[in-house]
Amino acid sequence: MAITSHDPIPTSQLDGAVKDYSRDKVYVLTALFLGVLTIIEVLTYAFPDFPAWSGNLVILTLMILMAVKFFTVVYIFMHLRFDKPILSWIFWAGLVLALGVYLAAMCTFRIFWPESHG
Amino acid sequence: MANAVQAHESVAEADAHAPHAHIEHDTNTGISNTKLGMWLFLASECLLFGGLITTYLLYKRPLEGPTPTEIFDIPFTSTSSFVLLMSSLTMVLAVSAIERGDHQRMRIWLGATALLGATFVSGQIYEFTVFVREGLGFTTSRFSSAFYTLTGFHGVHVTIGIIMLVSLVLLSLRGKIPEHRSETVEIVGLYWHFVDVVWIFIFAVVYLIP
Repeated sequence: MAITSHDPIPTSQLDGAVKDYSRDKVYVLTALFLGVLTIIEVLTYAFPDFPAWSGNLVILTLMILMAVKFFTVVYIFMHLRFDKPILSWIFWAGLVLALGVYLAAMCTFRIFWPESHG
Repeated sequence: MANAVQAHESVAEADAHAPHAHIEHDTNTGISNTKLGMWLFLASECLLFGGLITTYLLYKRPLEGPTPTEIFDIPFTSTSSFVLLMSSLTMVLAVSAIERGDHQRMRIWLGATALLGATFVSGQIYEFTVFVREGLGFTTSRFSSAFYTLTGFHGVHVTIGIIMLVSLVLLSLRGKIPEHRSETVEIVGLYWHFVDVVWIFIFAVVYLIP
């Protein structure tokens, strides 16, 4: 029997998956969710005095929105949620190393060249 | 030698007539080496963009020339970001279509993804042109160098993604992507989504965070 866009794709047809891939409807809803988050991000710029993100809260709000968007794409669209855990470990390792690069560079500049970032 | 060639041909023949379902990969991980390789590549790309974003954050306060708040056009960049985000949807629908064996829809979704990607790159070129006209050249300030390097590298990644998408459409039209090769589309999809998640990061860190 042919699989339609209303059915999830069975694990048996997928490479390295441990769960069935989502239906197309899930992807469309995920994209709508991401679109709403992007609108909220832009609203923080358009209405900076809104109580939910006024002052320094705007940075926290944007970081949370960014993280939610990032992991939604990675886990739903890139199928990390459905694939074997080793792929998640590989990607997490890259992210942690990138964070390490960030911290190392920032600390180096702060310690050895504090006037460099204005 | 003759036996080796014969064996190779029989494997190729078996592959060409393989059923729609993916064959179980004969690797320690149970994942094809290509897919594993792409994830390793993406992990290394995290380091590349991590380095570029760090450099931008270090140099984002210009000592001379226009400041970010003076030149950024947030509504325009927001629209571009939305376009790139929607291209991730069309890409995942293309992967979904080929997993179901629907080649026609896969080509439509891949074409749509390439078109949305091209729109994004066009927007970026337009944005760069406006910035240069406003006096922000590559060597104007440390901010401009870091900004153009970061966003330029991302733009190059999107352009490479578009080339891969167009190649997939052409291969599909020539019948070179049977269902059991749908992993090829998924791997290009992984690259495309990664480019999108990098932009999610850049959009927030470079354009929105004051």
